[in-house]
Amino acid sequence: MKTLKSLSLIGASALLSVGASTSVLADELMAERIYNQSLAATCASCHGTNGVSVAGQDMPKISQLTHEQIATALRQYKSDEKSGTIMHQLAKGYTDEQIEIIAQVLGKD
Amino acid sequence: MNRRLFLGQSAALLGTTAGINKLALASSSNKAQVVVVGAGYGGATAAKYVRMLSNNSISVTLIEPNDNFISCPLSNLVVGGEEKIGALTTSYDGLTDKYGINMVKDMVSKIDTQKKTVTTAGGSTIAYDKLVLSPGINMYMDSIEGLAQANADGVTLQAWKAGPETVALHKQIADMPDGGVVALSIPLAPYRCPPGPYERTCQIANYLKNNKPKSKLVVFDSNANIVSKGGLFSKAWADLYEGYIDYRPDNKVVAVDGKTRTLKFEFSDDFKADVLNVIPTMGAGNIVVDTGLANMNNRWAEVDFLNFESTQAKDVHIVGDSIQVAPRMPKSGHMANQQAKVAAAAIVSELNDFPINPQPVVTNTCYSFVNDRDVVHVASVHQYDPTEKTFLPVKGAGGLSAEPNRIEGIYAWGWAKNIWNDTVG
Repeated sequence: MKTLKSLSLIGASALLSVGASTSVLADELMAERIYNQSLAATCASCHGTNGVSVAGQDMPKISQLTHEQIATALRQYKSDEKSGTIMHQLAKGYTDEQIEIIAQVLGKD
Repeated sequence: MNRRLFLGQSAALLGTTAGINKLALASSSNKAQVVVVGAGYGGATAAKYVRMLSNNSISVTLIEPNDNFISCPLSNLVVGGEEKIGALTTSYDGLTDKYGINMVKDMVSKIDTQKKTVTTAGGSTIAYDKLVLSPGINMYMDSIEGLAQANADGVTLQAWKAGPETVALHKQIADMPDGGVVALSIPLAPYRCPPGPYERTCQIANYLKNNKPKSKLVVFDSNANIVSKGGLFSKAWADLYEGYIDYRPDNKVVAVDGKTRTLKFEFSDDFKADVLNVIPTMGAGNIVVDTGLANMNNRWAEVDFLNFESTQAKDVHIVGDSIQVAPRMPKSGHMANQQAKVAAAAIVSELNDFPINPQPVVTNTCYSFVNDRDVVHVASVHQYDPTEKTFLPVKGAGGLSAEPNRIEGIYAWGWAKNIWNDTVG
């Protein structure tokens, strides 16, 4: 997963209270995955679990977008370069880092 | 991005956020057990996301007395006759079939937070490593004299928990002769769904306008002003329903006479109507109160907003309408769904001895129908503030619709179908 490749985890490994050293990296990746997925899950209430909308309705289908398309759209909503009914209001509540993580989790690539 | 900083902070939190030692769990050769009480927007979402975020490594039992999920959001459309309750009803089958959740059709009658067990009305005792309570709200029927009896007799309905009363309230209005009067009584905030009573006002007025044009709706609000979307609702009432709505703020109902269909007030004169819809004051669900977890004025449950753990009992997490909310955080289905994901992520992390997210974020989106198709929204984003130890609304984020509009009427149904699927699908 691209989300995990870019992680910088070394600093945290010594602090994690796990028993076997061989499982430290796996545990860190798990912890990070939970964080990333639960952050992206804030979008799921409107756009569907994992960004996959229920068929037959008109809510924008974000799982069909690349991570770059999602990140760009969210940044544009945040800066009012892009207008919308509600997303320009919600995007302003997220940090740039959160937007990047959300886009990486939900993007189809 | 600085994820190292994130993990450094969160790892430091481990000292204060005690996890269950996964080695101890493993030695008992059992999976960790999460028990969830209540399968509404909060509980069902928590159950599903514990399974998802743990890659199905944690067993989840979900205890719920009802056969199906019935949405409160959009149920005002049923009151006004624009929609049928079936359109708001979703089976729980997806939770068992797709997510492997063990559904138990029962009520929880007792919780032992020391032994970490729940006992059901049906007599089962179930042990938990982590417990999630999402029982919704309890209507204080005794807070208004005569209401409990009038409600039991089916005369004065609340229809605030979507279900049979929602359908019955529409029938009462539909059966009323043209020229009749409907009275709606709104409790003091906080209550479930801040804009809900005002959307209901629109939907009842919409029905009267289209079907019984000599009739009217009188709204008695215990609050001094419209609690949510005030400007938008006031304008919609003036633009769409002139002559149909008589809105009276600062009018608190203190007694109901079901036989004569009369409301009595703290100060105003008695009022007789053909249909009485009295929404009483409400507090945390009974099981939260009975377990001693409603530690805010014996009404709401205080939680640690990092993981939604009760401040009263370890390993008991509470989400949804039962909690003492953070500043400007509404009691809504959407918010319960969002809280449940924060709780689920924290539960999965704690059961694995992982650090939990030190800065969760939740959003709220609430659509209200002003007629059969035009909608207004209110939205907000709430970031956890480590200094204040609560969620704070992000300044400059969130907001309202400019005016009622049709495109958001379409999105409101999209929202509904997606959140129902995200919750129970």
